[in-house]
Amino acid sequence: MPGILIVEDDNDLREMLKVSLLRRKYTVIEASNGKEAIIKFKPSMVNLVITDIIMPDEDGLKVIMRFRELKPTIKIIAISGGGKAGPGNYLNLARALGADEIFPKPFSINTLLQKIDEMLEPEQDPQ
Amino acid sequence: MAKKSVISNKSKEPDSQDSLTEHILNCSRSMISIINRDYVYEKVNSAFCSAHKIDNNCIVGKSLPEVWGENIFVEKIKNNIDSCFRGNTIRYEANFETPHYGNRYYEVVFRPLIKENGKITQLLAETFDVTDLKLSRQILSEMEEEFRKIETNLPIGFLRCEPDGTVIQANKAFLKIMECDEESEVAGLNLRDFYAEKGLFDIHLRQLFHEQRKTYGRVPLHTCKKNDIACRISGFIVTGETSTPPFIDFAFEDSSRELMLENRLLQAQKLETIGALAGGLAHDFNNILATIYGYSELLLDEFSGNKSATEKISRIISAATKAKSLTSQILTFSRQVEQQKIPVSIFEVLMETIGFVESGKPHNIHLASDVPATDAMVYADPTQLFRVFLNLMTNAIQAMETGGGTLSVSMTIVQGNSVRYELSRNIVADEYALITFEDTGIGMEESVIHRIFEPYFTTKEGGRGTGMGLSVVHGIVSEIEGDILVTSKPDKGTVFYLYLPVTRDYPMGTDISQEKLLLFITGNRYESRILSLALEKSGYKLVFASDTTVISKYISDELQKPDMVIYMDDSEEVTADNIRDIFAEHSIRIPLILITDNDQYITKEKLLNSGVAKQVLIKPVSLKEIHNAIQISLV
Repeated sequence: MPGILIVEDDNDLREMLKVSLLRRKYTVIEASNGKEAIIKFKPSMVNLVITDIIMPDEDGLKVIMRFRELKPTIKIIAISGGGKAGPGNYLNLARALGADEIFPKPFSINTLLQKIDEMLEPEQDPQ
Repeated sequence: MAKKSVISNKSKEPDSQDSLTEHILNCSRSMISIINRDYVYEKVNSAFCSAHKIDNNCIVGKSLPEVWGENIFVEKIKNNIDSCFRGNTIRYEANFETPHYGNRYYEVVFRPLIKENGKITQLLAETFDVTDLKLSRQILSEMEEEFRKIETNLPIGFLRCEPDGTVIQANKAFLKIMECDEESEVAGLNLRDFYAEKGLFDIHLRQLFHEQRKTYGRVPLHTCKKNDIACRISGFIVTGETSTPPFIDFAFEDSSRELMLENRLLQAQKLETIGALAGGLAHDFNNILATIYGYSELLLDEFSGNKSATEKISRIISAATKAKSLTSQILTFSRQVEQQKIPVSIFEVLMETIGFVESGKPHNIHLASDVPATDAMVYADPTQLFRVFLNLMTNAIQAMETGGGTLSVSMTIVQGNSVRYELSRNIVADEYALITFEDTGIGMEESVIHRIFEPYFTTKEGGRGTGMGLSVVHGIVSEIEGDILVTSKPDKGTVFYLYLPVTRDYPMGTDISQEKLLLFITGNRYESRILSLALEKSGYKLVFASDTTVISKYISDELQKPDMVIYMDDSEEVTADNIRDIFAEHSIRIPLILITDNDQYITKEKLLNSGVAKQVLIKPVSLKEIHNAIQISLV
């Protein structure tokens, strides 16, 4: 079962993401900030990371770069709070930092889930 | 033969009346001489001799023509002497050279010497050097002229008053500042009458007497026409001789413009502060909205069979979408979102907007436009520019809805330097496009004008306006480094002045578009045209379709298959069902972006759920939004 790590400081939003992913039968690991995320990250268990870019404590961008280092094949979706959080074109920023996808908030959860399914499809090797 | 008489050059101790007279004559600095009827010098004083650097006996006995030359004598002197011998005292100004003094100006006086028997045989000639006096007078007159010129042109009002403030004299500039037509209007008034706060005048006067001279900044005053102004006033106490009372002189500088600029700065700062606050809030809001969306969608799945439930949940989503739109507006107003900018033809977008407004305006409104074709470009998001123009025109029309009227739109190109002091920010371009929107509507009070760009400030009753429109306009205009000013008079109308910096260097097209082919499905309304223009300018290739046949053709074309479909939900011709059917029929896997109105969101859910639409965007759509949506969907 593919494991997904959620890094999001807003409790309600994080809970909503967890519930949605569990319904889809994914294994879910939660973290409410970057530091916690890095501690909880186990490369063998996590196939995809959903992380907010702007969070109070740990820099979301650093999180993305760190995960990419620790597991080069990992899939990363960055969710952004909108506004001048990222200068210029979101996609370029995401790409530069190692994220595969960007979803500006508020996003459609169904669209997000569809994208996750797509991204994890080939990874479904029996483990 | 004339008696020769020598007046000694040396001053001797006077020992008799005669010697005393001689002495006095020789002490005089004027050239003095006695001339007889034969025009011969009988006596000359020392001054005369020194001036001519000759000895006494060389002059005495000589005639005037001999000394001065026949021509000069006849031209300038003879008539005067003759007149004098007739009994007149003659005074005239002469300009001549003497060996000692060179060229000087003189006042010449001929006095007839009347003997006891009434006969005049001699005259007394006095020649007095008035050169210095003459030059001084000339300089003084020139200075007075200069001063008068400066005084008339300098916008500084001068006022001279009695020590208690009673006006004695006022200059033109003062009258102008005080909106008086005649000096007579202010004569007899007291400066105190002009002060808005009488008590302040008393304080100022006391301080002046204490310190002799003082400057007061921004004193509130009333003009003769009862208008409120503010002036910088400088007062000086002018002391005359101790017996005369001192005057007080005042200089007035109109500081209304200063005040106006300060107000504008304060307003801009206020908006910035509100913007920063709003931007932060909006950011947090997006998190909350994402949660609401998420659970709503989950519920829709869970209760898909329950019609009543899905209806209610859809309304939750609809409300959340409205909230999203609002936060998006707030972010735009507070300039927390950097817009995607491309070089846009101002003329094209303006004409597009005018066409749009013309087609939908009420009958009692007349739209007049004076927009010369120009290739001036501004670096902006065309959809945002459209929004700015549309908003300003809509406001104008609403101001005239009861009584009807005329909306005049005009455009002109101005030099950056000439509007330098009009704008509340630094100029960034050599040229600016100035677009004016003028209406003949209800107008606004001064107090309202100061606040119109504030978010949530509206003059419309109960729920008609959100008050976001002009604040968003202001945000967009500021972000493209333009400026917007407004003047208005109640019941007369309002004029908006929109300044856009003209861009001359067109940055190289970025490679972000990567030559993708987009199929643009639209009923070709005005807004769609702006958007399609914007996409084309950004480097995308566009093909258009407005009915199902054409869509099918493009979709199934193997060679020229579009990379992406953009479906503008703006016509009856092509419905969401049509789209879904076409896609199903041809088993199309081309990503589609749906752009629709907020209240149509629910009915379009089917397009989203069926997997056909990858993204749904709510109008109004900015270039950045659609661009991001395309990029996300193309990956």
